[in-house]
Amino acid sequence: MKWTYLSKMTGLTQSPPRVSGTEVFWSWLGSFLGIAVVAWLNDGFLEKTDLVLIIGSFGASAVLIYGAIKSPLAQPRHLIGGHIISAIIGVTAWKLLFFQPWLAAALAVSVAIAVMHLTKTLHPPGGATALIAVIGGPKIHHLGYLYVLMPVAAGAFIMLVVALAVNNLAPSRRYPEYWI
Amino acid sequence: MVSKEGSTGSGSRVKIDLKEEDIVAAMQEIPGYLDITPRDFKEIYTLAFQHALERLKREVTVAEIMTREVAAVKPDTPLADVAGAMGRRGVSGVPVVDDGNRVVGVVSEKDFLRRMGVVDSQNFMTLVASCLRSKGCVALPIKKQTAGELMSSPAVTVRPETRVRDLAELFAARHINRAPVTDAEGRLVGIVSRGDLVKATLAECRV
Repeated sequence: MKWTYLSKMTGLTQSPPRVSGTEVFWSWLGSFLGIAVVAWLNDGFLEKTDLVLIIGSFGASAVLIYGAIKSPLAQPRHLIGGHIISAIIGVTAWKLLFFQPWLAAALAVSVAIAVMHLTKTLHPPGGATALIAVIGGPKIHHLGYLYVLMPVAAGAFIMLVVALAVNNLAPSRRYPEYWI
Repeated sequence: MVSKEGSTGSGSRVKIDLKEEDIVAAMQEIPGYLDITPRDFKEIYTLAFQHALERLKREVTVAEIMTREVAAVKPDTPLADVAGAMGRRGVSGVPVVDDGNRVVGVVSEKDFLRRMGVVDSQNFMTLVASCLRSKGCVALPIKKQTAGELMSSPAVTVRPETRVRDLAELFAARHINRAPVTDAEGRLVGIVSRGDLVKATLAECRV
């Protein structure tokens, strides 16, 4: 019994093949443009305000929606749904448990994952979005539920528009696989 | 490509000889990053193949496997002609139809054997035995008879839309080897035999 348990850690299949150079190029181009637009808007218009448009979890979203575009995790339903749901849960966790930040952080991420599963919107960067709502510091905390709309929903939406535009320029690509 | 694991029963699982290197090769032919491991793909493929087989088994109908060109006789056809037709076509039974092509019965080898004095087990060797014991031809008692007098009636018939799975159950339950296929008005449109069933099963395994 103990040996069976340990043997499960040995792995049993090989890693998927590496993608072609063309794919690498399109992944690079899409993510460069997606992050560029969001970061440029953030720096150009919001730097002197209390608002933000860019958060760390968008870097993770870029991996999926420009680099693994066939994955269910990368589809619009998951990108938009996962970010918004996780943001709501993250902000709520902070508001209820700000006096116990470690508990707020753990609950924000774990509940976000559970609810994304239940709503079929699993998007790994959503976990980061929920966590940032707790550990993002005073500027994020000050936003309150505005965090859900801006930066989260607005930024994710801009990244989605870039994904639709760039991915479908590539002859070998088609995005999305599905909307709903 | 396909082989059965184990040799008995309907519960045996189909094993597909799909190697991981095949899957990796296929993944390389598809541009873009596929968010799945070769092993997960194989698992999905194997299960999907099972479902496809079950769906085909469920949905294949008599219409797809029946023989449409069927030799039928009339109730007033003399038995000598009936036996001749069966012999020529190499079949062990023919449907009997009325003037409107409606199936009224079936004449099979068993019907002949039964009327020729073979009572115990209706097969050819029993007939040979009784023939060797009697003087003259054992067929004499039915020499003047017609298909209508000899046939089993009413016939066990099926419809073109009958599922093959149900057909197999019918053959087994009624101990029959063939069934005329009729339309809604009872008119003959074909015949389906155990042989057709075997061929259909073979074709399915080659899918």
